[in-house]
Amino acid sequence: MRRTLTLARKEFIAMFRTPVAYLVIALFLTVASLWFFGVHQFLGRNVASLRAYFAVVPLLFVVLLPALTMRSWAEERSSGTAELLLTLPFSELQLVAGKFLGGFALVCVMLIPTLLVPLSVAPLGRFDPGPIIGQYLGTVLLAAAGLAVGQCASAVSRNQISAFLSAAALLMVLTAFHVVNAVVPLPPTVAATVNQISFLYHFSGFERGVIDSRAVIYFLVVVGASLGWTTHVLAMRRWR
Amino acid sequence: MIEITDIHKRYGSVEAVRGVSFAVGPGEIVGLLGPNGAGKTTILKILTGYHYPDAGSARIAGENVTERPRHVKSHLGYLPENAPLYGELTVAEYLRFLAEARGVPREAITARCSDAAVACGVTEVLHRRIATLSKGYRQRTGLAQAMLHDPDILILDEPTSGLDPNQIVEMRRLIRSLGQEKTVILSSHILQEVEAVCDRVLILHQGRIAAAGTAEQISVEVAGGGRWRITLIVPGSTEETVPTLFSSLPGCTAVEEVRREPLGGRTRVSAEVALGDSGGQDPGEVIFDWACHQGYKLVEAAPVQRRLEELFTRLTGEAP
Repeated sequence: MRRTLTLARKEFIAMFRTPVAYLVIALFLTVASLWFFGVHQFLGRNVASLRAYFAVVPLLFVVLLPALTMRSWAEERSSGTAELLLTLPFSELQLVAGKFLGGFALVCVMLIPTLLVPLSVAPLGRFDPGPIIGQYLGTVLLAAAGLAVGQCASAVSRNQISAFLSAAALLMVLTAFHVVNAVVPLPPTVAATVNQISFLYHFSGFERGVIDSRAVIYFLVVVGASLGWTTHVLAMRRWR
Repeated sequence: MIEITDIHKRYGSVEAVRGVSFAVGPGEIVGLLGPNGAGKTTILKILTGYHYPDAGSARIAGENVTERPRHVKSHLGYLPENAPLYGELTVAEYLRFLAEARGVPREAITARCSDAAVACGVTEVLHRRIATLSKGYRQRTGLAQAMLHDPDILILDEPTSGLDPNQIVEMRRLIRSLGQEKTVILSSHILQEVEAVCDRVLILHQGRIAAAGTAEQISVEVAGGGRWRITLIVPGSTEETVPTLFSSLPGCTAVEEVRREPLGGRTRVSAEVALGDSGGQDPGEVIFDWACHQGYKLVEAAPVQRRLEELFTRLTGEAP
């Protein structure tokens, strides 16, 4: 665990040494706030809910999370640092977990300033803290899933650009997979399965402030499967 | 300390290593020498557990690299080719990260990092970002990283590549001093380097070991009885006898660099002679007996150590 955290801290520091982390954080905060106060016109609606603020998060994550994860393995490989990293006395799982936690810590840092939104609008109406907790939990889980998928894409990519594009494409598909049902008429059982694959479908509950254990499990499974696959890819590469 | 048995490694259609075996004892400095693509880096990658061999085994401190990779890795310090580093970190942060990753006890981290920094001469750049460092400093940071956890074994892939002549001398000195306590395997395509730094040399060619041993041993192995510098004083002026002079020497296969000086009725002749297998007899004795028998006065007979360059060209058919 100590070694995993060592790597997580190094990843975290390194991300803040490049403009990418600052750009991602700035974009996230600006776009989400502009949407909420500018487009959605929160102040003119007389509704004490942050639902609209969190509704834009999944789409932002589709673009921003791949920007954070694109470097993780693709850059290590192209610069040759992977050779040293993979010859340290770490297991593959520790490496993957360390990179994941580094990115996850950055997203958590990014979410801290968003607390200003509920804090600043709280005096304007009667906000129920329950849904806000749900919304944050959903956002954190969504970020974890996106980071895990992004790291996996980076592990199979040769360079950062393809890591970014493949992660963004994958996240786009996963996020909006339920749209298939709106386009193609499918038998109910298939349609239900299609819904189960979608990030947005599972996130919508959190967005309303409902904590559904199935959705929590779904996101944890996505994280586990993606990190597991990344671990497998790295281990197999030793035999290539 | 290191034991490699019949390893094979193939990358796609390229067979990088085909059946290499060797062992390295504690405190030895062994050089892997070969042209680019001879399999040096692949062997080092297998030793460090970065790649696993297709067949054969690599053992470090008695443990198989593929079976207990984490245990094996804790014995190693590794400087990969071109010293890849994290450019966005400072040297101090980088060393600290590696000390923690290598499991150096928390209370010893600061001391170890500064010891390694002093030994490798990077103290003056400790707080600079690695991306802004010159090649020499990067290479030294790479070496500092490899030795900071005080490993038993150092694996250095082309440790002096890209350094200027002064830095090369410095780096070799450093490797030699590290080699007094540690087992070192380094790869190089620079012959002088291997000759200057290593106790033992393995010459690799097309994924196989073409020759192994000390520089002198290889020299004998390749050139049979070796080359001898012979100076004789022969009676008479020997204008016509010189070409045939050495033909009566047993085992003589080639005569080069003949020099003649007249010495008032006699002639001083010196030449470099290649001797084949002398059937277990000391070549020096063969030369002495031959000279006496011929009535020549033997002034000098000394073995010429062949430059590794020559051997290399002879073994691999390629210029190094």
